[in-house]
Amino acid sequence: MSAPVIPEITADPAAATGTGLRGRTPVFGHMKPWQALIIQPIAILVILAVFTVWLLNADLTPTEATTLSPGALWGYTVEHITLTLVAALVVLVVAVPLGILLTRGPFRRLTGPVLAVVNIGQAAPAVGLIVLLAFWLGFSPRAATVALILYALLPVLRNTMVGLDAVDPRLVEAGRGMGMSAVSVLLKVELPLAIPVMLAGIRTALVLLVGTAALAAFVNGGGLGLLITTGINLYLPRVLIAGSLLTALLALLFDWLGALVEHLARPKGL
Amino acid sequence: MSSPVTATHPHASAGVGGARILIEEVTKRYPGQKKPAVDGVTLEIPAGKIVMFVGPSGCGKTTTLKMINRLIEPTEGRIVLGEDDVTDIDGDELRRRIGYVIQAGGLFPHMTVAANIALVPKMLGWDKQRIAARVDELLTLVSLDPEVYRDRYPKQLSGGQQQRVGVARALAADPPVLLMDEPFGAVDPITRQRLQDELLNIQSEVQKTIIIVTHDFDEAVKLGDWIVVFAEGAEIVQYDTPERILAHPANDFVEGFIGSGAGLKQLSLTRVQDIDLLDAVVARPGEQTSTVLRRVEEAGHHHVVVLDERQCPIQWLSRPQLSRLGSIDTSVDPNLPIVTCRSTLNDALDNMLVFGTGAALVTDAHEKFVGVLDIETVMKVMTAARKKMAGTKPADAPLGLNTGAMATVPPAQEATR
Amino acid sequence: MWDFITDRFGQIAFSSWQHFSLVAQCVVLATVLSVALAVLVYRSRTLSAVANGVSAIGLTVPSFALIGILIVPFGFGVTPAVIVVTFFAALPILRNAVVGLSGVDPALVESARGIGMSRARTLLRVELPMAWPVILAGVRVSAQMVMGIAAVTAFALGPGLGGFIFSGLARLGGANSLESVVTGVVAVIVLALVLDLLLVVLGRLTISRGIRV
Repeated sequence: MSAPVIPEITADPAAATGTGLRGRTPVFGHMKPWQALIIQPIAILVILAVFTVWLLNADLTPTEATTLSPGALWGYTVEHITLTLVAALVVLVVAVPLGILLTRGPFRRLTGPVLAVVNIGQAAPAVGLIVLLAFWLGFSPRAATVALILYALLPVLRNTMVGLDAVDPRLVEAGRGMGMSAVSVLLKVELPLAIPVMLAGIRTALVLLVGTAALAAFVNGGGLGLLITTGINLYLPRVLIAGSLLTALLALLFDWLGALVEHLARPKGL
Repeated sequence: MSSPVTATHPHASAGVGGARILIEEVTKRYPGQKKPAVDGVTLEIPAGKIVMFVGPSGCGKTTTLKMINRLIEPTEGRIVLGEDDVTDIDGDELRRRIGYVIQAGGLFPHMTVAANIALVPKMLGWDKQRIAARVDELLTLVSLDPEVYRDRYPKQLSGGQQQRVGVARALAADPPVLLMDEPFGAVDPITRQRLQDELLNIQSEVQKTIIIVTHDFDEAVKLGDWIVVFAEGAEIVQYDTPERILAHPANDFVEGFIGSGAGLKQLSLTRVQDIDLLDAVVARPGEQTSTVLRRVEEAGHHHVVVLDERQCPIQWLSRPQLSRLGSIDTSVDPNLPIVTCRSTLNDALDNMLVFGTGAALVTDAHEKFVGVLDIETVMKVMTAARKKMAGTKPADAPLGLNTGAMATVPPAQEATR
Repeated sequence: MWDFITDRFGQIAFSSWQHFSLVAQCVVLATVLSVALAVLVYRSRTLSAVANGVSAIGLTVPSFALIGILIVPFGFGVTPAVIVVTFFAALPILRNAVVGLSGVDPALVESARGIGMSRARTLLRVELPMAWPVILAGVRVSAQMVMGIAAVTAFALGPGLGGFIFSGLARLGGANSLESVVTGVVAVIVLALVLDLLLVVLGRLTISRGIRV
């Protein structure tokens, strides 16, 4: 994947209002959130089961069998998840504080240039970015991880900023008026109220990361993308399908985890 | 300009729960603007009184208010709270000692009502039990049942209820001063009237120094012990009691601000409890109408007020109605024209008009019946008040003047009071 | 680096043109299809939810994975490239079109019917123009997204600037491999910004001043 999944807040009004679940839950947007939360993993498991059954009963050539052996599959999946999570962690640690900083008074002037730079980065094709970084840092998971981090910065950064900006300034005034320090207001009022929008951005970023991590295969980064590239290079359709399906399922799984966290972490009363 | 330069110094703690405030030559200049938003204002707020800041939009009254708790830092000037100069102390610490209420309450939507109210006490380090007790105490004070409302979220409350919680929150740490910025602007007129009455009730118990910004002059007349009329640049045009401002507006600007109907506005100055009410013949459910009828005739009245065991009025029967009934029952008439004794005459007259009667039943704060009010009484009070106003001399008023560029007032104008 | 560009300028220009026209045509096609689908669906809550759901799933599933799945039935070449790119382009546009059309104030629709406009006229003269800003925002998102996806399709399918990236990758260590990749990446970025600019201008021209934000 090379670009933001749900990039601009203006393009998705439901996401902007922080009511993350509505319209973001596949197919069942009009059901109660918790119901959709249960259906999604069940669907994933069902598809996974069907896939496993098919795999066990399919007549595989020796090459296919080795590539698709449970051990190998597990290995690729773990590599993929590692890439995703490491990048996600770094993105969180960098983008959230940066987003907070850019919404504080004196730094608002920097918002424009920073966003412009990150936007340009977003326009770059992911695969190109990964390859360039590999040229520089060597063909390894490290280059892939750096590329992933740069790629997922935008959704988290932008959502952090939008979420904080959306907090009613009168609430901030009420907080300062009561004698809360600026830090206190940030921690007790602004951040809790911005959490829904921020989490929507983190969820978007996670899905983006899983998709982009599939491209790590091009630079020896490992992961499930390897199945896809092998499938294409050697024309092994079954390997290709397996790789694509597993990547897709992993993405849906992370999306579901994100939805779960969004649901649980949403402050009551909002 | 404003009232006489002679300043009195109301004693800060003579039985009142509030502190005196003095802002001295306070100026606020914003970068890039030619004229200061607030230019050299000197204002004395007496302890334990309600002072209203009124003026047109953008005149600087809110800016002045926010400089008292230094939400907006003054460019120049001094602020004194009680006996302490608070111009330079830590802003956050100052604001913890002052209650602050904004329009629509400013409640944090992600916290329960109890959590909202408990914020300042928690910051001040009170222990849990003390906080919980205080939360319940305050909810009761603002007429919200603690059992019901303690754990509700702001979005589950109506506008009026949110505003009440906002006031409770501001009072949580028992500050001597309360600042309110258009607190009743966001609710409907009926709720606003009720909230205003309740604020007056609360003030009679706690006697804090309250400063309220409003653009509604009627509200200023109803609530204020003193009113400051501001013009652009936070220029103090008149600082006086509501009665005197209504009777003697300082200039055309103030007159324009009062608007027409100043005479009717004076009805807002007197409260029902301040005037002599008419007695009424009362009866209880279960009494025979013949006995009651005799009592009514002996008293020379035409109506009887039926009270329940709590002394609350439930029916108001005329002589013809009495003669048609056998005995008095316990039914409650839902359309009784009832007025509380804290209402202004304005509200009382309004009620009488709405109910289409020429009189109203007056109850006290506990809904007990205290007397009857009729239009003739209101007219008598009005006429007497006007006669009295004509002969008063300007009494001592608190200090309020501008010491900025606009202070160059020709001496002749100062002597018009 | 500079020599690389000047030597192969023709090739670069041609690839850029290929890439651009692939994306542009697919986006146009996707817009037409998505808007048509949205028009059919937006008045029914269930169908809208289904459309939103498909869109959400499609956007969640990684593009590379989806390309892989689509190669099996469609093979390699230009046609599959078009299918993949159009499919991805359609997703954000479909979601925005549904949201935009459902978001038109029902009071406006009622007024239009009330003065005698037919369903079709109302749709054409009231609802679509009101929803157009939101739809256009979706088109912008979509255009940026598929610019990058088109680069990946080059790996399996053919046309466009992706070729520079992948040939550079394949010739790793060889002459000009880095320059090739850089050219590919930079060219895509430039094209993406150009297309975005064109869409902004289109927005300016087509969005009535009355509803311009």
